[in-house]
Amino acid sequence: MEPDTASSTAADYAVELIGITKRFGTFTANDKIDLRVRRGEIHAIVGENGAGKTTLMNILFGLLQPDEGEIRLNGSPVVMDDPSVAIKLGLGMVHQHFKLVPSLTVAENVFLGMEIRRNGLIDHQAQEERTTELSKRFGLAVDATERVALLSVGIEQRIEILKVLVRGARTVILDEPTAVLTPQESRELFATMRSFAEGGMTVIFISHHLEEVIEVSDTVTVLRRGKAVATRPTAELNKAEMVRLMVDRDVSFERPTRPRTDGKTVLQVEGLWARDDRRHPALRDVSFEVRAGEIVGIAGVAGNGQTELAEVLSGLRPPSHGTAVLNGRDILTLSPAEVRAAGLAHVPGDRMTRGVDGNASIASNLMMGRQDRAPWKRRGLLDWKAAARESIGLIERFDIRARGPNDTVRRLSGGNIQKVVLAREFTNEASFLLIDQPTRGVDIGAQEAIHDEIMRQRANGVAILLISVQLDELLKLADRLLVMFNGRIMGTVDGENADEDQVGLMMAGVSPEQAEHAA
Amino acid sequence: MEVLTSLINVALIVATLRTTAPILLVALGGSFTTKAGIFNIGLEGQMLAGAFFAVLGSIWTGSAWGGVLCGVAAALVFAYVFALLVVTFRANEVVVGLALNILAGGMTISLMKAIFGTRGSIVGQGIVGLPKIQIPYARELLGSWAPLVSGYTPLVYIAFLSVPLFVLFYKRTRLGLYIRVVGEKPEAAEALGISITRIRYIASLLCGLFAGLAGAHLSLGYITMFTENMSSGRGFMAVAILIFSNGDPLRVLAGCLLFGLADAFSLRLQTFGYPSYLILAVPYLVALTALFALSYAARPKLIRETADSMRRFLRAETPDSRPTEGSR
Ligand SMILES: Nc1ncnc2c1ncn2[C@@H]1O[C@H](COP(=O)(O)OP(=O)(O)OP(=O)(O)O)[C@@H](O)[C@H]1O
Ligand SMILES: [Mg+2]
Repeated sequence: MEPDTASSTAADYAVELIGITKRFGTFTANDKIDLRVRRGEIHAIVGENGAGKTTLMNILFGLLQPDEGEIRLNGSPVVMDDPSVAIKLGLGMVHQHFKLVPSLTVAENVFLGMEIRRNGLIDHQAQEERTTELSKRFGLAVDATERVALLSVGIEQRIEILKVLVRGARTVILDEPTAVLTPQESRELFATMRSFAEGGMTVIFISHHLEEVIEVSDTVTVLRRGKAVATRPTAELNKAEMVRLMVDRDVSFERPTRPRTDGKTVLQVEGLWARDDRRHPALRDVSFEVRAGEIVGIAGVAGNGQTELAEVLSGLRPPSHGTAVLNGRDILTLSPAEVRAAGLAHVPGDRMTRGVDGNASIASNLMMGRQDRAPWKRRGLLDWKAAARESIGLIERFDIRARGPNDTVRRLSGGNIQKVVLAREFTNEASFLLIDQPTRGVDIGAQEAIHDEIMRQRANGVAILLISVQLDELLKLADRLLVMFNGRIMGTVDGENADEDQVGLMMAGVSPEQAEHAA
Repeated sequence: MEVLTSLINVALIVATLRTTAPILLVALGGSFTTKAGIFNIGLEGQMLAGAFFAVLGSIWTGSAWGGVLCGVAAALVFAYVFALLVVTFRANEVVVGLALNILAGGMTISLMKAIFGTRGSIVGQGIVGLPKIQIPYARELLGSWAPLVSGYTPLVYIAFLSVPLFVLFYKRTRLGLYIRVVGEKPEAAEALGISITRIRYIASLLCGLFAGLAGAHLSLGYITMFTENMSSGRGFMAVAILIFSNGDPLRVLAGCLLFGLADAFSLRLQTFGYPSYLILAVPYLVALTALFALSYAARPKLIRETADSMRRFLRAETPDSRPTEGSR
């Protein structure tokens, strides 16, 4: 399986994981995994949600201890007692969920744990200078004195990478770095990764976006249900083959054919204005409608008002002006619970804060919001037996990889947490579905399942507003595409014959006429 | 006018600074645990133990500083037990804190009975109080304003001088930074190999140190005696101040001064013949109200959103003016 093993000696490998096994109780998350990463390469790890990618990287980085197996760096065996050992040995990790301290400045975060001190006191100025210098050298633009709480995720990621670099890492682990990035930011990240590899550093990179893997990596390792099933040079694989290795079946990326529908208007938004958390205008005169049996997609680079639009429509953010009528009722003065009663189901973009209660079980999470309805409630009390039964059904239907309905949600892998939210919201029999980033951090197989489910909702006559930063997802699903830029709707594009470049230009603020001309 | 001047004068400010000192010391101690992400309700007990053992120590050693040392040691033992249970054994902070408070109350009473054979209070018996520090030339330079800066016991100076040191500590020292990080984002600390357990122990013990000083100030500062429950809720008041101030030294100082002022004021009012039990509640009420008002401006998003939507509901028919473009 290993390509040209004969010609490469052990010392050519920056990292070797040999026979790594990790169990959580009776569940085996990593099963005798072998992984060899050559120095100076970009090595991608792909696999379904819960395949064990993050677990394996946590073991390499000393955050988890393996039950069996050996770790070698540059040919010599090492024991990673905790992350500080890994850091000392030249490893750096950018985690799937960032670990920055919001109240500290960029420079303070970068130097946390290795502060520059003068006369025993932290030398903030020196830290800021070094951060600026480093960010210039690696083309990772940041303002060293800004507080992290005020920055976007894309910049937060740059800080995480700077943190790794300043510690002198020679091997960088990136766990789903692009899940939260805009396409533009992703491209910048890839350029950075390539420059690392060219400089002799080693990059290990986890992603669910196979195009990215093909574009940027030299070697791919595929994990399936805790086992490493293949390691190949990326050039030898195409997307379909990779998918087959991951999920053991074929997956379609085609735009599903669909009947034209002409349903009645379910949601009518007129002249909507709203402000963001910093009181700046985030929505400017937004108007559109969503009809029954129609998927309206909102395209746009993250941070152009999509979040605020979703919050206003779900009753979480008061607008400054405008109307939104859902099923004949103005919903803008209603509380989130009342909007839901009026027919909304909502898949929020940030699943951990607004989608689930991480410390509760799957069953409780699935029940949230309908605890006062049959079959969840009986004779005024919660019926846990019925809830468990119902949950088992949903776990199967949405392919949530868990041990059972009583599993704590926090313990699930990122993609499976998302499926819990979808399972709850898609079975609410709502007439209007507001879906924000449905497949963020979700694997290819599950993405298809979710897309199928969205199409099924459409066929059932549900009006769907789909917000996504992934253009390919919108091009596949949407009947109509609204492109947002700077809080405004730049234009509407028909989903059937939308042109990717044209939409891309509109996302950057080019007017539809000019975009059509240019594309 | 006459009433006013008899109420507000140099003496009132002096009294304010004096009454502020013990609560400032204990609240500054609590700022360590607050910043490290531990809800420490055990300040009251640590302070009480500090006060009692300071008296004992001063009798044993015949020196006020020996007393202070004993008081601090006792508070440190309490702080250590707190850390052991909360950090190592992950017991509930509130339960452990309350239990230690009750223990401190009971223990001081029993020990008083066992050692001195009395109930209620220890007076005389050779207790040595802390000396008052006269700043040289204060009287010559400041005249009648001299009492503002001169003539306090050492712990008052320590309390107030600590505030800028605390600001520096959190801003510029590694330990201060780590304490903040452990409280705000433990995962970040963990991922960088900073030991959360160690930092939380250090924060707890530093807290004990200051709570012990606060206790010693109570029993050896202006009155040299120990009475049952002599911390009289100051530890809890400190907890309230800490919640509102989030442990920031300057805001802690503001909260404590407010409480001290109200306390000093109420002592004055007593001389006007208002019922004393009502007046004794005044400082707590004033401090809480003011703290609430202060923190309302920095209120969490949830409250703000609720208030916003209520306001919107109240003037449902008059939407606010259309935001102008380019108002960024
Ligand atoms: N601390 C834990 N306790 C119990 N089970 C765990 C724990 N951490 C992970 N698991 C389980 O191990 C499996 C592998 O999880 P892991 O996070 O490695 O998946 P992943 O491949 O990174 O998935 P994703 O792409 O969704 O992030 C999952 O089924 C998860 O539920
Ligand atoms: Mg993962």
